[in-house]
Amino acid sequence: MKKTLMIAGFASLMATTAMADGIGVSMALFDDNFLTVLRNGIQKTADETGLSVQIEDAQNDVAKQLDQINNFIASGVSAIIVNPVDTSATQAMTDAAAAANIPLVYVNRQPINVDTLPDNQAFVASNEVESSSQGFIEQCNQWAAAGKTEVSVYVMQGELSNQAAVQRTQNYTDVIDAGKCAVKVTVIDQQTANWSRDQAQSLMTNWLSSGAPFDGVLANNDEMALGAIQAMKAANIDMASVIISGVDATQDALASMQAGELDITVFQNAAAQGGGALDAAVKLAAGEAVEQKVYVPFELVTPANLANYLAKN
Amino acid sequence: MAKSSHGIGGLAYDPAKRTRAPEWNVFTALVLIVAAFEILGRVFLGDSFLFNTRDNVDTLFNEQRLQIIILQVSIVGIISLGVTQVIITGGIDLSSGSIVGATAMVAMSFAQVAMVNGNPNPKAIFGPEFMDLPVIVPVLVGLAMGLAAGLINGALIAYTRIPPFIATLGMMVTARGMAKWWSKGNPISFPTEGYASIGQGLIPVFIFIGLALLFHLIMTYTKYGKHCYAIGSNEQAARMAGINVAGHKVLVYTIAGMLAAFAAVVLSSKNLTAQAGMGVMYELDAIAMAVIGGVSLQGGRGSIIGTVIGALIFGVIISGFTFLKLDAYYQEMVKGAIIVGAVVLDQWRQNKRGRG
Repeated sequence: MKKTLMIAGFASLMATTAMADGIGVSMALFDDNFLTVLRNGIQKTADETGLSVQIEDAQNDVAKQLDQINNFIASGVSAIIVNPVDTSATQAMTDAAAAANIPLVYVNRQPINVDTLPDNQAFVASNEVESSSQGFIEQCNQWAAAGKTEVSVYVMQGELSNQAAVQRTQNYTDVIDAGKCAVKVTVIDQQTANWSRDQAQSLMTNWLSSGAPFDGVLANNDEMALGAIQAMKAANIDMASVIISGVDATQDALASMQAGELDITVFQNAAAQGGGALDAAVKLAAGEAVEQKVYVPFELVTPANLANYLAKN
Repeated sequence: MAKSSHGIGGLAYDPAKRTRAPEWNVFTALVLIVAAFEILGRVFLGDSFLFNTRDNVDTLFNEQRLQIIILQVSIVGIISLGVTQVIITGGIDLSSGSIVGATAMVAMSFAQVAMVNGNPNPKAIFGPEFMDLPVIVPVLVGLAMGLAAGLINGALIAYTRIPPFIATLGMMVTARGMAKWWSKGNPISFPTEGYASIGQGLIPVFIFIGLALLFHLIMTYTKYGKHCYAIGSNEQAARMAGINVAGHKVLVYTIAGMLAAFAAVVLSSKNLTAQAGMGVMYELDAIAMAVIGGVSLQGGRGSIIGTVIGALIFGVIISGFTFLKLDAYYQEMVKGAIIVGAVVLDQWRQNKRGRG
């Protein structure tokens, strides 16, 4: 009896690990809004082309992600797509896939070894340098158009350990230093709200309680921009007197823009990144050559072109 | 100093054993921390932490800051009220943060509007027949979620006798999984006006204070409260004394689950959105608030008032650091130090009293 059970157990184990010819996907985090759109982009493209994909959640754990990749390799997938948890921990993944000669595609986050990837590995993403700079330059132009020459702003950063948060904040400084901003910008304070609307709401209210006059908020993502807006509305601040920018163009952000609150956001085409990564993986698996760095451009969204984006993510 | 009063069960009045209520120590700590921020602000920024320094506002205190100090901890504060009761009975609840996530997702699904700015709701979870429901529906759905989760926690702990740490750890993982599964990770937004009004302005604060008062009275004056302390102090003795320990534990965890669920309703309403990642680490913040407030992890000691002051200390620290324009790194480091420091002080005080 015991033996039969054990055999049945092993058989079911083997059934779950043996999924040859599919494509394995390891996402950094399932409950991230943006990555969810990206994940759906992969799933949708796969469904359309009749491919089987197995998508795993690395739960923001570098070690778990490497285990998932090794499991994919062990089960003989035809290609692997990785959305790296930590962009500096990708060398081991590249090595593991290269040793098994299985194609690997990094998506959305640029791996540290992007310039030394083997031939059957690629990288599909948007260039983070474009992200918040596009929005910020537009913000500067709007201030200039409103007749301002000097502005004071608050900066809301994403999680401090996150590459995108660091880059998006750096972009503000770079734009100012390169003289691309049409007005003189003074940063009153810069704090993290960990990408979260709730924390952003509290942070903004804390800032408002100091009473310093300000002309706008630069948020690393839309969720935080929306939190800031909710705090300002609660404090009866005229939303026409401040200019708020975010990144992502989420549905919530677009609705807020329609209501005349959020002024600027930047659309990162998550679905296109997901689809692009799957395309690259399929081609690599078929032995075709692909472009090793594929950049999907960021797109500026303002009330003027808002309508084009309402159905995009 | 041994007096004969010890021999007769300590019933005789002994001035040496008279101590201030432990809440006073926590309150003193709160005052000291506020004073520290006030002084640092005046020295380094030339600005006041507590008092109004703006010309265009005519109040003595900086009311906006006082409000945000408590508003930003109200939601975790609601959770900590339940966690306090759990810890007093000698248990622990690690699942509250995940219950918040799962409840927010499910409740918000029943609180959506059909049309957003004239377009169909882009985040719709159900068909139109489940849109624009009266506000009571999502609230009851949310509370039912918390009731179910708490009931499972309590039943596991009381009847299978597995440690609370394990039972609630299981619920923590399961409920978070459910939060992600419910809408496949997509955020759920655009609630009805009725639902949105639950968490607007200072209402979360009123809810927190109201519930705190309610549970303070319950813990102090009812049989339920006395049984919590009795079970936490000595479970065997409580059982011998005829207390239905298993049933009481189920009740305590159920109340904690429902409070976490209610916090989720307030949180999703305040933010006008529900996201699968909501409430991550809230359980630890809630436990920390209770512990700072003098609730002993050994059980049997602590109070709702202490926890409320613990929550205020949290709020003061967050606002104080933003006020001083210090980075979030320091914020977390100091938060950690304060949690440990509070328990060390408490332990030290207890030992002293034990010897005395």
